Amino acid sequence: MKEKQYVMGNTAIARGALEAGVRVVAGYPGTPATEIVDECLGHPGVHVEWASNEKVAFEICVGASLCHVRTMPVMKHNGTNFVTDFLMHVNFTGVRGGLVLISADDPGALSSQNEEDTRILVNQYGHLPMFDPSTIQEAKAMIKEAFELSEKTELVWCLRPVTRVCHARGIVEFEDLQKDLPAAHYEPDRQRFIMSAVEVPEFGGLKRPQLRHRWLNGKQEELYKIVEKSSFNWIEKGEGKIGLVGCGMGYTLIKEAEQYLGRKLPILKLGTLPLPKKKIKKFVKGLEKIVVFEETEPYVEGLIKRIFHEEKIEVEVLGRSGFVPSDGELTLQTILDAVRKAVPDVKITQPEVPVPEIHIPIRTRTQCVGCNYRGILNALKQTVRKHKGIVAGDIGCHDAGSFSPMELQSTIYCMGSSVPMASGMALTGMNRPVFAFIGDSTFYHNGIIGLINAAHNKINVNVILGENTVTAMTGFQPHPGTGKTLSGEESRPIDVAKLAEAIGISYRVVNPYDIKQCQEALEAAVKEEGPSLIVSSMPCYLFSSRHGRKFFEPKEVWVNPDICNGCKICINDFGCPAISFDKSQKKVSIDPGTCVGCGLCVDVCKRGAIS
Amino acid sequence: MKKMDVVIAGVGGQGNIFASIVISQYAMNKKMNVLGAETIGAAQRGGSVVSHIRIADGAIYSPLISRGQADLLIGMEYVEMLRYLRLLNPRGAYLVNAVKIPTVQNNMGLDEYPETDEILKAARKYCPNGHVIDASNLAKKLGNVQMTNVVMLGALVKVLPFFDYKEMRSLVASNSPAKFKKANLKAFEAGYKIVKS
Repeated sequence: MKEKQYVMGNTAIARGALEAGVRVVAGYPGTPATEIVDECLGHPGVHVEWASNEKVAFEICVGASLCHVRTMPVMKHNGTNFVTDFLMHVNFTGVRGGLVLISADDPGALSSQNEEDTRILVNQYGHLPMFDPSTIQEAKAMIKEAFELSEKTELVWCLRPVTRVCHARGIVEFEDLQKDLPAAHYEPDRQRFIMSAVEVPEFGGLKRPQLRHRWLNGKQEELYKIVEKSSFNWIEKGEGKIGLVGCGMGYTLIKEAEQYLGRKLPILKLGTLPLPKKKIKKFVKGLEKIVVFEETEPYVEGLIKRIFHEEKIEVEVLGRSGFVPSDGELTLQTILDAVRKAVPDVKITQPEVPVPEIHIPIRTRTQCVGCNYRGILNALKQTVRKHKGIVAGDIGCHDAGSFSPMELQSTIYCMGSSVPMASGMALTGMNRPVFAFIGDSTFYHNGIIGLINAAHNKINVNVILGENTVTAMTGFQPHPGTGKTLSGEESRPIDVAKLAEAIGISYRVVNPYDIKQCQEALEAAVKEEGPSLIVSSMPCYLFSSRHGRKFFEPKEVWVNPDICNGCKICINDFGCPAISFDKSQKKVSIDPGTCVGCGLCVDVCKRGAIS
Repeated sequence: MKKMDVVIAGVGGQGNIFASIVISQYAMNKKMNVLGAETIGAAQRGGSVVSHIRIADGAIYSPLISRGQADLLIGMEYVEMLRYLRLLNPRGAYLVNAVKIPTVQNNMGLDEYPETDEILKAARKYCPNGHVIDASNLAKKLGNVQMTNVVMLGALVKVLPFFDYKEMRSLVASNSPAKFKKANLKAFEAGYKIVKS
């Protein structure tokens, strides 16, 4: 039965995997990939889970694949970075059951701490094949084919959707799901799956990893044949001696640009890595110049230049190495600007649009009204001010504490880096207290390792664990501290106090809705030599309130204008969206429609104007 | 080629998604092509939220609407309407909900929210076919401010002959949870009536 539905790209990808008979899906939440995991839920015989981190998710999937089961690890680009160590081993061994890695990239860093192109990681570094979808329908077709090809070639295949594929919506055809999935089985093959530096007598004592490397290199020929025939690469005829090459989203934008171009230019659409050499050679016959549009690094551009160099083809290759901007997301505008430069004789009829001459305020993200992080962040702000402390931050909702006007955290890099960063600062002997602020999902991701290290090496660092029991930033996914799995099964939440005891580190559990208690704990931690842990423990307000749970008695809060002197402490050190400042009156007020009555601001005001 | 590119701009919780689902289903029922895109993630935290819906009886490629391509801009709030004004074709139309939602920085006195007069002046200069809809107040009067999006859908049907009143009304009904259906239909009708033809 076929049925058409209007769905998000991530739903299309999940559906494709389910139709291909995926049995184990594991991932770690991260925009833009998150919904792919959620959308796989609810099908009998399909195990879907949020793993502690992406490397764990990937390793779970490889384990399942070795038992001849189809499996899909799901992550955003940062996760793929994290997985690289394992990837650089499993590329040598290959897999059994189809394994398709979803590595979602976020050009323009729309929801990311960095911008990168994981095609380089997976294909150039890992020598593994990839699909780069141009539409959500193609993404669905690609994932189904990737499962087939993964089994045929015994290799990990990777689907690299960008944000504009993951979060696009379109009409997708739903086909039947596979029934009667084959049963799992395992046969040992130590020559292949023991990645160890042992000599292999049949090959004159060469080390096994070198032989597996040779195996992987040998696979490339097979891949070249596959991509040459792939329906995801094609040529569109056009006029003139200048051609456009579109990879994934780059192709979609070229097609969008066509409506404004005075004539049809030759187009080569590419969706595979490795590249179809013969097709490229056929395309450039008679051309003088090509412009490559790809997300985001000039990777395909470089590969094409290499082919031309080897084959002595004299065609100029332009692209994101400077001709097209080398950073950020491709847009219709970047395509039109590049075409205007590269093909001056083509007419471009883009309508001019005036610029509205008015100031448009930026809307920055902040913690929710009622969020318990605001309490511990306020206490920390005061402690840091008093002791000239430094705070290393981490990924998660609390990062909004680093924005203006709070400006608390001094560094934010990647998952789990706060504790080691803070440790390094503490080791320099600056004689200033150093803090790390980390959320619980990030802590279980890999932050815990930094804490163990700080304990082992007796580093004088103060770690604040914001234990809100869910991965709030990406939409409340469960983690090892939640007490529930993704499929809703009860599981034992990790007891952080016992964990701290086991690590051998002093710890204090505080209620973030009690600023005074937080401050006292922070003060004690600063005075203490060696590492200390402060567990700021309270479930996420937004998540809990949606389920009718509250962890404070809502209070009616107002500002007494006779007492308020407009000092703005409640804005600069607290920053609740319900509090606003009236410039003419020089006083603050609380919007009763926005306020949820957590009452934290009552304790923030030093003059007692809020009650 | 017949086409209708719609941008819906607002802040989290204003019901963008419901409106975009109704509009895209309308297009699907008309056997037209539909593509869309959303910003996701900032919605719960006071961020700006925008949905792009692209409808055409021919091929559509990019899920995003580019500068000057939109035929219709629905602003669920003044500043968000302004933010995406450049996506609107100056010969298109815009509808804006007569509501100001200050940013966190505005509240803190660190940034100015422009005056309504200024906003409307800039918008009118850009595109003459504009409609200010008192949707949130109307929705409040009808019992629930959350029906603002449905009021806006009603108004949109009156402004743009592309959308058929009856079919849009039945889509509002079929997409509403049972207990909100009656109220939503009332809000839809009220939105339709509030625009003077």
